[in-house]
Amino acid sequence: MYKKNITPYLFIIPALLFILIFVYIPIVENFYFSFYRMNSYAPGKTFLGLDNYIDIFQNEIFYTAIINNTWYAVISLIFQVGLGLILAITLESKLLGKERKFFRTVYFLPSVIAIAAVGLMFYYIYNPNLGLLNAIINLFTESNFNYAWLGKPNTAIFAVIAMSQWQFTGYIMILLIVAIQKIPEELYEVAEIEGATSIQKAIYVTIPQIKEMILVTSVITVIGAFKLFTEIFVTTRGGPYDTTQVLGTFMYKTAFFYDKMGYAAAIAVIIFFITFTTSVIQIRLANRGED
Amino acid sequence: MSRKIITLSLVFAMLLVVTFSLTIGAQEVTLKFLHRWTQEPDSTFFEEVVANYEAQNPNINIDMEVVANDPFKEKIKIILGTENAPDVFFTWPGEFTNRFIRAGQVMDITSYMEDGWGDTLIDSVVEPFKYEGKIYGAPYRLDAKVFVYNTKIFEDVGVEEPKNFSEFITVLDKIKNAGYTPIAFGNMFPWAVSHYMGQLNAYSVPYDVYMEDLNPAEGDFAHPGYLMALEKYEELTPYFNENANAIRHDEARVSLFNGEAAMMYLEIIEIPTIEQQAPEEFKNNYDVFVMPPIEGAAGDQTALIGYPEGFVVSANTEHPEEAIAFLKYLTGKEVGRKEAQDLLFVNGVKNVVSEGEIPDSVYNTTQLVLKTERLVNWFDSSLHAEIWSVTGSELQKLTDGVATPEEVLENMREIAEEVRAQF
Repeated sequence: MYKKNITPYLFIIPALLFILIFVYIPIVENFYFSFYRMNSYAPGKTFLGLDNYIDIFQNEIFYTAIINNTWYAVISLIFQVGLGLILAITLESKLLGKERKFFRTVYFLPSVIAIAAVGLMFYYIYNPNLGLLNAIINLFTESNFNYAWLGKPNTAIFAVIAMSQWQFTGYIMILLIVAIQKIPEELYEVAEIEGATSIQKAIYVTIPQIKEMILVTSVITVIGAFKLFTEIFVTTRGGPYDTTQVLGTFMYKTAFFYDKMGYAAAIAVIIFFITFTTSVIQIRLANRGED
Repeated sequence: MSRKIITLSLVFAMLLVVTFSLTIGAQEVTLKFLHRWTQEPDSTFFEEVVANYEAQNPNINIDMEVVANDPFKEKIKIILGTENAPDVFFTWPGEFTNRFIRAGQVMDITSYMEDGWGDTLIDSVVEPFKYEGKIYGAPYRLDAKVFVYNTKIFEDVGVEEPKNFSEFITVLDKIKNAGYTPIAFGNMFPWAVSHYMGQLNAYSVPYDVYMEDLNPAEGDFAHPGYLMALEKYEELTPYFNENANAIRHDEARVSLFNGEAAMMYLEIIEIPTIEQQAPEEFKNNYDVFVMPPIEGAAGDQTALIGYPEGFVVSANTEHPEEAIAFLKYLTGKEVGRKEAQDLLFVNGVKNVVSEGEIPDSVYNTTQLVLKTERLVNWFDSSLHAEIWSVTGSELQKLTDGVATPEEVLENMREIAEEVRAQF
């Protein structure tokens, strides 16, 4: 009797300990560090109270970063989730035959490439003098366009965001396809008997049936947008003049260039709260009216 | 009887072996060594240097670790505070190292230097390793920044090496009108502009004032020379290639090598790269000049931007004597001669190579450094990290023409004030 009660916990404990040591304790420790001035190579630290947070809220780069992260989130929702959904429905519809497998692979392929490699590739695509993008524009306009996509503050962040859409739309699409494939065929049959068009089937059958997965992918996308780091780091490193900084790169810069570990910890706390609250809100919104 | 003797001698032999290996074991010292040259031919060079040293000193075992340039800057900050801190490690003298000195992580080697070691080294090259009068490191290779120019283009346009800054602008103008890019410049990572600013600041601001301003606890950059330096830099910006902030230094260098650009501000440690990678056409037609001095400016017109790189010993090393001995070897004559031959770099030892032993281009530029009484550090590594971070961005704006010299200086003074408050 007793044994039966303990057994499941015995299985859980190792994983629990693991998560505790590597996830939850560091999070708590990070909160603690955010109130100090400290760096990694000098012993000792100075208590600052909320000074790090006050400094952050007075720093222009912080607002640039928030705006950039928000752009990333909004554009990613439109393209990765929105366009991904349209692609998923199209590829799973009866409009396509065997070739759907081919397209599925084509769209999914970019997401299996390492971000560092994609970053390098796009760095050259956007290159003002040798870049593929300017070469294509010049081919059609017969001009001598040498715009530096990643080098100009107006376009740099959007050029990086566009790269991510190219890479991850197919990934979200695959997640949605998997969900669509689980929808019982009977629902479509009923809809067909009722005389529903393809678009009506998509709106009234497919989308409501995969609502959960749309929600999950939206949460993944938004959280991903606020945890953004590698995409920026391998293309612009926050430049030109900090116009492409996002919270992740701003945190990295304060930690490893300014040697302000406490300040960086405070930024990490802010990132934590942003991602935590947005996901809670999204999950609440989705659950509304269900219970 | 004989069996007893055999057993006894076996036991004796065993004891001998055990004691012998114990003594050896007790004397064996492992030194952790960290440098930043992951690429050939430098990486092989270091492997050979370490192997040679281990062969000469059987009781020393060198545990070498290599981290590439950029990650090195992060890694060193993380490991210096831990038990895994290297005993001997690479560093850039100036503020990059000074912060570690302030945190008590770098060993003061003044007494060892005074013990004859210092006499073998060139004074002006050891100078950068001093902090508050104490010596903390030894130079591994000399460096300085010069304009490398295409002599054919200069001939074609009909211009000569400029003697002062206003002549320089005239020369640049003529080259631009002739259809060439006057100066190739890749400033995607703004250390590139920091090299211009380091030299221009040295010309425009009295040395002592400049040095005081570089101290993060005191610097306020109040001297009017800083504005002059920024204005002089601004005068150069129309002569750079387009999109300087969007391309990397090495990408820009290609346009110098292939004859599109007339000149480029390069470090003399890039001369071996020219010798190894540039097309014959360029290799046979290049020369160098230092940044032309500014007439009537308040700074030292003979100062040259260029700081050595070197190695230091950790303050927390368990084997200070052994670490110092290895540092001496690493920056000494034997390694220096090998370095000059294998890598075309010159270290800080007096007369380490003579004319004819290395290519003239390398020898002559090295002489430039040796003749200079006052080397000035790169602006980025001499500034406090936080001040540089803001200033670097501001200088990129100036390069793009979206900020004025006044605005750049104002923001720089503002961040300097914030940093001062932390001390």
